[in-house]
Amino acid sequence: MNLPLILLGKLVFYISRILKIGSGGTWPGEIALKLNPNIIRFFSVKLKKGVIIVAGTNGKTTTSLMIRNILQHQGYEVLHNDSGANLLNGIASAFIQQISWWGKLDRDWGVFEVDENSFPAVISNFSLDFSRDKQLVIVFLNLFRDQLDRYGEVDVIAEKWTNAIKMLPKEAKIILNSDDPQIAYLGKNIKQKVVYFGLNNTKLFLDGPEHATDSIFCLNCGNRLTYDGIYYSHIGIWKCEKCGEKRPNPQVSEWPSPLSGVYNRYNTLACVATALCLGIDSEKIKEAFTDFLPAFGRQEEIEIHGKKIKIFLSKNPAGFNESLRTILSQGAEEILFVLNDRIPDGRDVSWIWDVDFEMLPFYITPVVSGDRVYDLALRIKYSRQIHKLPENAVNLPQRPILIYEDLKKALDFCILSPKKEKTLFILATYSAMLEVRKILKGRKIL
Amino acid sequence: MKLKIAWLYRDLMSTYGDRGNIICLTQRCQIRHIDVEVKNITLETSVKELNKCDVIFMGGAQDRQQKLAGGDFLKNKGPVIKKMVEENIPSLFVCAAYQAVGHYYRPYKGADIPGPGILDLTTKHLGDQAKRLIGDISAEIINIKELNGKTIVGFENHGGRTSLGAKLKPFAKVIKGFGNNGEDGYEGAVYKNAIGSYFHGPILSKNPHLADWLIGCALEIKYQKDVELEPLDDELEWKAHDFMLKRL
Repeated sequence: MNLPLILLGKLVFYISRILKIGSGGTWPGEIALKLNPNIIRFFSVKLKKGVIIVAGTNGKTTTSLMIRNILQHQGYEVLHNDSGANLLNGIASAFIQQISWWGKLDRDWGVFEVDENSFPAVISNFSLDFSRDKQLVIVFLNLFRDQLDRYGEVDVIAEKWTNAIKMLPKEAKIILNSDDPQIAYLGKNIKQKVVYFGLNNTKLFLDGPEHATDSIFCLNCGNRLTYDGIYYSHIGIWKCEKCGEKRPNPQVSEWPSPLSGVYNRYNTLACVATALCLGIDSEKIKEAFTDFLPAFGRQEEIEIHGKKIKIFLSKNPAGFNESLRTILSQGAEEILFVLNDRIPDGRDVSWIWDVDFEMLPFYITPVVSGDRVYDLALRIKYSRQIHKLPENAVNLPQRPILIYEDLKKALDFCILSPKKEKTLFILATYSAMLEVRKILKGRKIL
Repeated sequence: MKLKIAWLYRDLMSTYGDRGNIICLTQRCQIRHIDVEVKNITLETSVKELNKCDVIFMGGAQDRQQKLAGGDFLKNKGPVIKKMVEENIPSLFVCAAYQAVGHYYRPYKGADIPGPGILDLTTKHLGDQAKRLIGDISAEIINIKELNGKTIVGFENHGGRTSLGAKLKPFAKVIKGFGNNGEDGYEGAVYKNAIGSYFHGPILSKNPHLADWLIGCALEIKYQKDVELEPLDDELEWKAHDFMLKRL
């Protein structure tokens, strides 16, 4: 009987909320899973319509929020791990938080973002009765190098996913990014229905490839892939000239994005592909997007003392480059970078050398902070030293890099800057983003 | 003066911010008005290009990419680099490249992966249950007379354990961290002017003395004369270095 478990889990949830321990997103689930490892199976049977899972290195939180909004707009009740806790314990916690004290779960859909490594474990925990028209949709967004010390390398994750898909029932539907070679390849020879999404917009091609790419060799024959154009990192219109493997034609390739940045176009397409796959009318999807507000820390806007602030979670080279391009296209002049090296950020900060800080215009005075403020300042120093200076002017004085070990002081400095009308853009790693929110909003997550 | 840097397999073996080393070397030359050119040496590049270079760098990789590079390295580039290293060309091999320049890499299953034996070392993976050696690391350089006693800081992340041949000298003595095998307390290897190290990714960024040693060495070998490098403003480099030394 799971009722005592639910009671216990909910108590833990409220206690941690009252005491502001801040682990309300994982503890209740952790304890419940310890006492009953099958608890998610027990919960998931109660979902009336089905489950949608979103996996990928970047865009999970935003995409799952978009899907949730569309479903809610359709009048469905949705269970969603919107705190971003996306391991098994976070998903169990989301159930416990939303189930009633008597064990009743009045939800149509479960929408879950799932950690890359946890995907196989999570998926094997769901139980859905397809004979009763329940649905399982899985969205794979992309795979980039990210926290290699924790996740391992992208090939290892892709292999885990391939094996997990093999174990899925044939009724499941798989939504794949056609423009990420490694993701597209997941759709080869599988028994489930596949829907591809991707961009067909040559205007968005980059002038040249970025340095940080992970999947630019053919997964079929090992030959170097050729690109008609690249949107970012290794995402683009690819083909292999040796074996003929090529980017599948995307069924969903055009949709106005409610958020800026090419990466958000992909998140939008993934969400729309999912909604269409569920049979939701395109007019309804459009309506649902009109009042979309970003998830915490993902282009989230905050105003403090009349200063507009936009927070961009930026946690790996592909995402960081996209954030940089997006804010520069919005005319960013005041930028605060925050780099932490705690467990949710990855302990290794080497990746900042794969970020193209060289695109920062010379007139910007970057402000830096975080646990690894000196590493970040050093990276930015080397991106500016020679770059974009007139010839023979190597020794010109540079715009300084402002270094604050103390994040509060960095924020004070930025917010009190004399140019009130300028938006402050904050690019921060995960725990740094939470800290920024805590200082600015008094709480870390929602 | 002019230097040509060979960057081996930048599109295959540059997983952990390895590019940082090329950026550091390049800029530290440019500020001193040393002409510098980076040659991308990858699968399709002829070894003739490699032969013209004055410094060699090769970085870390994922398994699949390392396999893709492995055949070409063993057959084409490796033997040329071996000869260049014998001719005192300064070289830096980090992470996967450090393992690749040995005699072989023994995975926990499957056959040994042979290497060109540029450095007299072997690497073994002890099985999928064996702990990966991951974390911040600091060490004290030994066996490079200009740098002995100086510290280096960085990050390591490797499953393989490396043992050096009887005559090969370690690069450094571990202060905090694991190093070659987590057992003997040593890190990396030095042979002539070649350095192998588990300090992965941008090892040179917080260790400017090491970057300058490579540059100075390359110029002295190329121009056959003593070279005194103009000192640079490295306040930030040393701040980042000392910050990690203290924190560890």
